[in-house]
Parts: sequence; structure tokens; C-alpha cells
Amino acid sequence: MVGLSEGEKHFIRGGIAQDLRADGRRRLQFRAMSVETGVIPQANGSARVRLGSTEVIASVKAELGKPSILHPDKGKVSIFVDCSPTAAPMFEGRGSEDLSAELSVALQRCLLGGKSGAGAAIDLSSLIVVDGKVCWDLYIDGLVVSSDGNLLDALAAAIKVALSDTGIPRVNVSLSAATDEEPEVDVSDDEFLQFDTSSVPVIVTLTKVGKHYIVDATSEEESQMSSAVSVSVNRHRQICGLTKRGGAGLDASVIFDMISVAKHVSQQFMSVLDSDIAAAEEAE
Amino acid sequence: MSAAATTGTYSPAASAGEKRRERKEELRRHLAEDADWPRADGRSFHDCRPAFMQTGPTTAASGSAYAEFGKTKVIVSVFGPRESKKTMMYSDTGRLNCNVSYTTFATPIRGQGTDNKEYSAMLHKALEGAVMLHTFPKTTVDVFALVLESGGSDLPIIISCASLALADAGIMMYDLVTSVSVSCFGKNIIIDPTSDEEAWQDGSLMVAYMPARKEITQLTLTGEWSDGKITNAVELCMDACTKLCDILRERLKDASSLAE
Repeated sequence: MVGLSEGEKHFIRGGIAQDLRADGRRRLQFRAMSVETGVIPQANGSARVRLGSTEVIASVKAELGKPSILHPDKGKVSIFVDCSPTAAPMFEGRGSEDLSAELSVALQRCLLGGKSGAGAAIDLSSLIVVDGKVCWDLYIDGLVVSSDGNLLDALAAAIKVALSDTGIPRVNVSLSAATDEEPEVDVSDDEFLQFDTSSVPVIVTLTKVGKHYIVDATSEEESQMSSAVSVSVNRHRQICGLTKRGGAGLDASVIFDMISVAKHVSQQFMSVLDSDIAAAEEAE
Repeated sequence: MSAAATTGTYSPAASAGEKRRERKEELRRHLAEDADWPRADGRSFHDCRPAFMQTGPTTAASGSAYAEFGKTKVIVSVFGPRESKKTMMYSDTGRLNCNVSYTTFATPIRGQGTDNKEYSAMLHKALEGAVMLHTFPKTTVDVFALVLESGGSDLPIIISCASLALADAGIMMYDLVTSVSVSCFGKNIIIDPTSDEEAWQDGSLMVAYMPARKEITQLTLTGEWSDGKITNAVELCMDACTKLCDILRERLKDASSLAE
């Protein structure tokens, strides 16, 4: 919880109403973002994203596994988020469980698409090596290192960057004559396949404070919110996930308005992110 | 001996998978034709399953409700307001504690219902905006939901049933919350999907709505959606929620007239 005096609360709310926030930003302006790739050598892909003083790390690990019986033609992706107690004392022990679960579910909803696989950011059938026998299991882990609001957007951005950094080793499969036997798999050490991240969406959270909504809220601003809507938008300007937080109800027209604003903002955010990714890859 | 044993082996998982695949093929065919196809239970796309709801199945609770929508059967008990646990910090507003659990036999494969860990948090989010928490400071209201049988659209039914149970317990609320979900297949939107339909959907959208206040308390969406489709789906859900709310009010009136 953020402890704020009445005066500070008034200042934050008043600033948002006048389109000039406490740190000098406009309502629909993000904090400065910095992106770094390849921060975890053991992972197949990783990234660190800073948004103001919010800092998150995402890592992508690929392991060979067996596809499930129900979906023999698909690989598996699991997304976990961990909030480190170094970020805030309240994350200690089981304190972060609810938040971690909420963030993981929101990210899964935005990245994995419908049950049939339509609209998924990661095409699960591209992870298959041998139908029904061998597939890649992709483990996406997010870590909150420092928390100052807008964790979901930062995590989604970090995952997008980490996936673009991910190389999946090329595998050579030697199928034995008897099809029942386990195929022999030879994982290449130096040949990697780049991951297609063109359809990975970004998430934009609009936080409603008073009558107005803002993007990239700090934790002080989040403490004043009545509700927040997180919209994930992909490159084709399609909505591929939506979650609402906060107790207060919203009129349907307000939600539709928020979606269209989020769509607009997301396109700018995505182009900033793309140029950051390019810069980070060059720096590596 | 061994040969006879192999032929006679019964493996439910594989045959269940096959049956599902058959149904999926059928859905695919319908999608290719792009015509209005009859749903497995004979409904049209925008028909909800008949709703059966009742208050007071459990006597020990302050309030309770039972809901049955097709195969989905849910029971919700509400306890309290009662004193918050000692470990909780002082709060001048009340607490709403929600818990959703599945029976082990709720799903075709035993114990699969535990996949839905996030449902407790979602139920809380859908209800907290409707309950007047300031009317019971320092205390907690417990909402326990048990899914007896999972037949699709579980969470929306849990939410509607929980709000009926809260009303039955006499907890002050701004409005009843009802919830309805839709699945999307290609460009078709079908309301109140069954588990089979949910298993092959391209996307889903769930709305929790307070009809009298015309406010959406919770909205979730998965899959790829265009603007126009979201608008259509949300409006369809809101309309269904309003009608469901009338049913809830009827049930509450029945219960109170019986008490007199």
C-alpha cells in the first residue's frame, strides 16, 4: 500500500484532471523506457525492461517435451510471473501470490489466444518437432525486480522483447523404421531458429482516476484509481485480450471509448518498442 | 492371454479424445459452410440454456443459492458478516472473501477442475463493486462456491449464483450482478457456451453486469477480436444479463413470499 496524505491525493487527482501529472507527463504519455536483451545467458531468450522505476525481467526457456494427448499437433507454452520481495516488502512469503497469479492469468489470456489457437501470439503448432511425440515446451518467466506501477504493461513488453531475442535450437530427427519407437532427437548447439514475434501483442493499461484515464500509472496514481482496463492489441489493430481490474463498475460506452484510446496508444507504444528492440540487438 | 487382454483393454482417454475430435471436425465443417448450424443441444446461436435457480439449499449458511444451467450445477453459500480473522489488519470497510472450488467429479477427467485457480479472484472482482462494503466494517463476508458439475460457462454461472446467495443472506448491495459469456467461432458469436463449445472456441468474452445501474463490473476477453465484434458481443451479453436478473428477482420474491 502506498501511504498518501489527503493533500497528496488531491494533488494527484487534480493534476490528472488538468492533464499535467505529478511527474510532468500528459495523461496518455508513457515514462521513459529502456530495453536490454540477452541479460540471462542460460535462457534461450531474455530481456530487461525499465519503465521509469518499474523494472521487470523476462526469460524464455525451451525444453523438449511430449505433446498432450488431446493436442498431439501442438507444443506447450506456460507463463509464470514472480514478484520478488526485493521489489516491495509486501511481496514476502505468500504476500505476492495473488498479484503473481493475477498477472500470470492476464498474460496467458493475452498471449495464448482462444482454445482453438486462433489469435494466439505464439503459434503452438510451430513448436511441434514430431507429431504426437516430441515438441518444444516454452517456459516464459517474468520477474518483477522493482515495482512502481504498471507491472502488466512492462511484463508484456519484456516478454515481447525476450521472444524476439529467443533462438530455438534446430533439431534433427532420425525416425526409426518402427514408428512406435521413440524418435532420436539431435539438438544442434550452434544453429538457432529465430522466433516469429510479429503477432505478439503489447498491453496498454488505462487507469481511471476521477473522470479521466491515464496510461502507465505509477503506484501512487494506481492507489487513486477506481478501475483499470488492460487491453492487448496486436500489429493488425485487433484486440486479443482484455482484463478489468478495480471494483467500480463502468458504463459500456466508457469501456468502448477506453478500448479505442488503448488501440491508438498501443500503436505508438509498439513502434517505440520496435525501435528499442532494434537498438538493443545492435548494442549486443 | 496377453493378446486377448490387449484387445479388451478399455482406454477412456483415447476414445474420449476421438469423440472430441469428431465433434471438432463437425464444427470445422460448419465453419467452412459458414451457415447457421444447430448446436449440439438444439439451441440457436443467441439462445441461453434454461436457467433453474433456487435460494436456500444449505440451512447453516446466512444465505445460499443453487443454479443449474444445462449440465452446469453450482451451489454457493454465504456466511457472515462475521468477525475478521485476528491476523487481518483493521479495516473500516468490510471484506469480501471469495472461494471457488470444484468437486473432483465435476469434470470428465477426475480432478481437472483445479485448473481454474483464478476463478476465486475473478469472482471477487466481479462482486466487490456491487457489495456495500462500508455497511459492515471490521467484518468479513465469506462467499464459498462449489461447482458440482462443470458443463461450460462455469464462471458466469458462479457469479450470478453468488449474487443471488448474497441477496438471500441480506447483504446490502447496490444491485444484483449477473454474468453471461459468449464464445466466438470465426465470425459467429454464440451465447452461453457448453464445455464442448468452449474447448474449440476461437475466443471468449465474459461480462458481469449490474442491470439496474447499467454498469459493467467485470469484463474479460481472449482470442482475437475486432472492434465491431466486441461491441456486438458486449451488447448481447448485457441484454442476456438483464433478462437473467429478472429471473433472479423472481426467485428472491418467491423466497420472501414463502417466508411470510
